[in-house]
Amino acid sequence: MSLFTERMGEVSVVEGMQPLVSLQRLRKRYPGVLAVDDVSLDLYAGEVHGLVGENGAGKSTLIKLLAGATTSDGGSIWVRGRQVHLRTVREANRLGLAFIHQELNLVPYFDAVENIFLGHLYPRHWWGGVDWAALRRRVRAVLDPLGVTLPLTVPVSRLSPGQQTLVSIARALVDKVDLLVMDEPTAALTSQEIEHLFGVVRALRARGVGVLYISHRLAEIFALTERITVMRNGRVVTTQPSSQVSEQRLVQWMTGRTVEALYPPRTPPTALPLLDVRRLSGSFCREISFTLHAGEVLGIAGLIGAGRSELLRLIFGAERVRGGELLLYEKGVPRGLCLRSPAQAYRAGVALAPEERRTQGLLLARPIYENTTLTFLRRFAWGGWWVRRRSELAATQRLGERLALRSRSLRQPVSELSGGNQQKVVLARALAGEVKVLLLDEPTRGVDVGARQEIYRIIGDLKAQGVGVLLVSSDLSELLGVADRLVVLREGRQVATLAAGEASAERVLGYCFGVQPAVPHPTRSQGGGDAGR
Amino acid sequence: MGEMQADSGGARQGAQRWLRLYGTFAGFVAMVGIFALMRPGIFLSPNNLRNITEQVAILAIVATTMTVVMVVGDFDLSVGAMASLSGVVVADLLIQGLGVWPGVAVALLVGGIGGLFNGVLVAYFGLSAFVATLATMTAFRGLALFYTNGSTLFSGIPESFKLFGQGVTLALPNSVWIMAAVWGVTWFVLEQTTLGRRLYAVGGNAQASYLAGLNVRGLRLAAFVLSGVGAALAGVVMTSRLFSAHPTAGEPLMLNSIAAVFLGMTMFREGEPHVLGTLVGVLLLGGMSNGLNILQVNSYLQLVLTGLIILLAVLLSGLARRGE
Repeated sequence: MSLFTERMGEVSVVEGMQPLVSLQRLRKRYPGVLAVDDVSLDLYAGEVHGLVGENGAGKSTLIKLLAGATTSDGGSIWVRGRQVHLRTVREANRLGLAFIHQELNLVPYFDAVENIFLGHLYPRHWWGGVDWAALRRRVRAVLDPLGVTLPLTVPVSRLSPGQQTLVSIARALVDKVDLLVMDEPTAALTSQEIEHLFGVVRALRARGVGVLYISHRLAEIFALTERITVMRNGRVVTTQPSSQVSEQRLVQWMTGRTVEALYPPRTPPTALPLLDVRRLSGSFCREISFTLHAGEVLGIAGLIGAGRSELLRLIFGAERVRGGELLLYEKGVPRGLCLRSPAQAYRAGVALAPEERRTQGLLLARPIYENTTLTFLRRFAWGGWWVRRRSELAATQRLGERLALRSRSLRQPVSELSGGNQQKVVLARALAGEVKVLLLDEPTRGVDVGARQEIYRIIGDLKAQGVGVLLVSSDLSELLGVADRLVVLREGRQVATLAAGEASAERVLGYCFGVQPAVPHPTRSQGGGDAGR
Repeated sequence: MGEMQADSGGARQGAQRWLRLYGTFAGFVAMVGIFALMRPGIFLSPNNLRNITEQVAILAIVATTMTVVMVVGDFDLSVGAMASLSGVVVADLLIQGLGVWPGVAVALLVGGIGGLFNGVLVAYFGLSAFVATLATMTAFRGLALFYTNGSTLFSGIPESFKLFGQGVTLALPNSVWIMAAVWGVTWFVLEQTTLGRRLYAVGGNAQASYLAGLNVRGLRLAAFVLSGVGAALAGVVMTSRLFSAHPTAGEPLMLNSIAAVFLGMTMFREGEPHVLGTLVGVLLLGGMSNGLNILQVNSYLQLVLTGLIILLAVLLSGLARRGE
């Protein structure tokens, strides 16, 4: 509690100070959208300022304006009381602004020292050679005050994601930095690494550096920031002291509506078997067995690399089956299934929405309707070969309404859509045929809260229609909230099969890591909670 | 394309977009204008226009089918050598007394088999298109030279074979009609059919296409077969036009056809190959060489100028893209 009052004091002191960076009534228009609309924001030295909003709310554009990566159509940027016109990232750096992006832009074969000094003048010996000892000293001078120890002489590609993030922070700090902008720095980090990163951010704050911290993870925002700014549709909704906001309010501001339960009420699955997986093995997965019923959501839990995606691809025919068998039920009669390609899978009524929608799911430069009709294109063509755009557009329109897809036009390239709407295009394609079994691989990754809720609603609708869903997700609360049963994989093996009632986060994690909990906790599932993540 | 106009500061962006989308086409118009002004009454005379179309017809056939291969994201270096090979094959068969139509059919079959070979190497054995078609280019060239022992075939070709390259129907050379037919069919296939849509899908994202249930390998194979047949057809027209077959006559077609497709790609927002763009590219290259000939520019210097034009077009479109 004492920490709390101290912080409040800081905020009030800050109000009287000159802001380090002040954005005033910034505007940026892209074709068809006002990405940043009349945004004003003050950032102070020694303050960690959180910036939150759904995908497409304008956060990235705002940062691009601040970094000089794009120019505004109106408004002004002030640094230490002087108006500046930023045209390149280098100019922004010279003014003491530094940026850590989601993609770290490190040179993988260089070691930490060289990456940190990339773009700076190396210290030299009198004869012109690089003075490596002096270079290492200077790198340590950056790292030591932050309490960071890094292996300095191995290629950064061999460092963990957390260490790589620290390297890129150190690179930003070689020059004098007044404001550090961090865009989703923890996306790839473990919880331990996140703690370490937080320590570094707090050390920077203590040195008087201002930090603009952008994250989808609200827990981090609350743990780290003094003030929070919420953006929606290109505008600032509000800026509030972090201590006076609840997570629920924040989500309301972000989505612009009150969030009811995130997960729809669970309807019980039927007892009708749909897909029998018997001792299925691939190059990594070994002897996986389960039965999927009509109207059931079967969740697949496990760590990254546990074989979850491979399991889906085996069932989908995209990877070679090395053992076991698949049985698909047709009106209750099992039929052996031997899928050698995704094309055969679609014909049998098995559809996949793949993990990486940009690289595995979508034709980014192509319009929405071409993406949705790709698999069953023959149905939208005279004689199976002369394409009828009108029927494609009509079918896409229907699917789009069913999935609440938002776009300016169905002829719009999917690259222009937000993450959530791109995911809906992937789903629309999977649902364009007669789906019996739907394989979903991380359907809500990088999707904001509103679209996430809609995707759960879609899963619920499919359930009601008797579709069987296999759901792979790294988000445990999602699995617990949506799935009727859980299969837990570890290192390619099935280590547990749990009904929703007997699964708790603790238990599932225990199986994922291979540690059995001392006392089993038969906790009820936690549907509805955890709306923020 | 239904885009909203930016309100302020959009003039520069608008100019850049215009330059990118229509720069190549504007260059084409500018070229015609310049040549027409410098040699009034000659460059745009009906006779010369017919000349140009006749000169570009063979290149247009190869470039059109090359477009298909580039739509799926590959390219085919062997088209020039294939055109030479099919040219000597048809000439030799006719000299030996085979009928004109069976001879042509065999030549096209040779093209199809060559394309099939390329396609299998690339789509099923996973070789890069560069390596595979570089190897087959060398092999096809070797075959043509071996077949003719390095000499030109000309004596004994029946007069009736002139039909393809020198005949005239309805005031237009037959070679132009053949080109128009190849172009029309390819346009229809790429723009209006399921096959074309799938070819574009594979070129846009092969992995996503596979996971969407497309037969990616088959589609890439089909593109190479088409390109092989197109090259062989060009070889037949070329032999008929020259009324002789030289084992390296088709060589320049390879680089020129790829250049034409690239020029055409600069015309489209997505930067994807498109037969319409390819046609403009072919006309640009052909008009260029014809105009410079009329101006009596040194033919070696012509090559330099053509190279610079290609660079300029690609640079302008690339610069505009970066400015966005």
